[in-house]
Amino acid sequence: MERVIEVEGLKKSFGSHEVLKGINFTAEKGQVTCIIGSSGSGKSTLLRCINLLEVPDGGRILYHGQNILSGAVNMPQYHARVGMVFQQFNLFGNMNVLENCMAGQMKVLHRSRAESEQNALKYLKKVGMAAYVGAMPRQLSGGQKQRVAIARTLAMDPEVILFDEPTSALDPEMVGEVLGVMQDLAQEGMTMLVVTHEMGFARAVANQVVFMDGGVICEQGAPGEVLTSPRSERLKAFLSSML
Amino acid sequence: MPTTFFGWVGFLLEQYGPLFAAGTAMTLLISLSGTVLGFIIGLLVAIVRTIEPPRGAGPVRRALLGAAHALMNVYIQVFRGTPMIVQAMVIYYGSMQYLGIDMDHTAAAIFVISINTGAYMAEIIRGGIISVDKGQFEAAHAIGMTHWQTMTTVVLPQAIRNILPSVGNEFIVNIKDSSVLNVIAVSELFFQAKSAAGTYFRYFEVYFIVAVIYLVLTLTVSRILRFVEKKMDGPDNYVIHGSQSDSRAEIHVSAENEREAVKRWNA
Repeated sequence: MERVIEVEGLKKSFGSHEVLKGINFTAEKGQVTCIIGSSGSGKSTLLRCINLLEVPDGGRILYHGQNILSGAVNMPQYHARVGMVFQQFNLFGNMNVLENCMAGQMKVLHRSRAESEQNALKYLKKVGMAAYVGAMPRQLSGGQKQRVAIARTLAMDPEVILFDEPTSALDPEMVGEVLGVMQDLAQEGMTMLVVTHEMGFARAVANQVVFMDGGVICEQGAPGEVLTSPRSERLKAFLSSML
Repeated sequence: MPTTFFGWVGFLLEQYGPLFAAGTAMTLLISLSGTVLGFIIGLLVAIVRTIEPPRGAGPVRRALLGAAHALMNVYIQVFRGTPMIVQAMVIYYGSMQYLGIDMDHTAAAIFVISINTGAYMAEIIRGGIISVDKGQFEAAHAIGMTHWQTMTTVVLPQAIRNILPSVGNEFIVNIKDSSVLNVIAVSELFFQAKSAAGTYFRYFEVYFIVAVIYLVLTLTVSRILRFVEKKMDGPDNYVIHGSQSDSRAEIHVSAENEREAVKRWNA
């Protein structure tokens, strides 16, 4: 298996509060890794460190064996290859649906307008939002916004997508439409790192489940092991609280 | 000679109509160009002030950025902390006495208003940038945009929309406050009124006319700005494309009938 992202001894503190206390894990090509844990366990911070929205205090993050913290990796290119989907969608408020999916392609990948538009439409169709190209984000529901946000990320043709609690800000009836899109992506072999509270999704889609608690990884393994026969008391308590 | 108030107003308008018109045009010219140039100055200052030293920046780059920030801070403090009438005197006579530059009165007036407005605008625009949700910066960075690209394509368009009422306010303030520039003999409305009032010693009538002109200017500008704000918000309606090739499949959606239209589209 080809290792796409490797995290080694990753540490991050906010002031005197140590959020990540030495994280190690590997994401392999085409695999879906679900990161679970209670709030404050550091799972979102881990994801944000991988995308360098937070700068780690220690450790290494390797992308295809290259340390992205060394300065040797071209950051815009790295960001284009490693996409991110946010809990709060973060669609660009001044652009309509189509422009949201074109801006990155044109500015970062220097694609032509025509090519960007074609590519954007392709992915908007995929997430079922092609009908809404002219709508502004404020006119869409949460589930629609998140599907557009996924299309915006896909339009960059990334190798990996990081999902930071993509359904946590959605009304319950909209969770399904977003998870459905994510499941399709997983089946097509997209490498995905998903911070989530959706245990059903983790069980059905993940190749690997990582349980974080207090800034460390407590348990990791196949969803069958981790979710059905947890070893630590913390994970047992967490899973029973999720039911 | 007229004997009533309205008689005097009519007489003065007849006598000095072209003078008032020229003064009004000059007031509009210096306040509008001062606001526009001040906006550009403020934009540049605000953008630089929001740059954080990049990761792994060397001490030289950090020091340069620090110096630029300090310099801009001084600029803002000095020009917000002193009256424009004093700034006008210092700049106009200073450049004459010590630099040997005899500035054109109009150019000097525009220069003073611009840098004065720039100091206020820098803070207004910085506030506008801060008011844009942090998630917008993060999404732009996450997609690979540089700080400059993030600013120009995502953040500033939203920041400028948010601060448009304040920018309009600056313009209105400039229309009124450009009157202090009569001290450097620029022929704006107040300056023209002074010479008109002096001839017949009809100060009340002349300044009454001037007050009405200022009021009309500011009210009109407020109206125009409100219209621009509405325009910038874009249409409340949008079109759902039922088919990429057949335009007859379009569904026009407004906020009210959206639910209805989507239901029809799904049926």
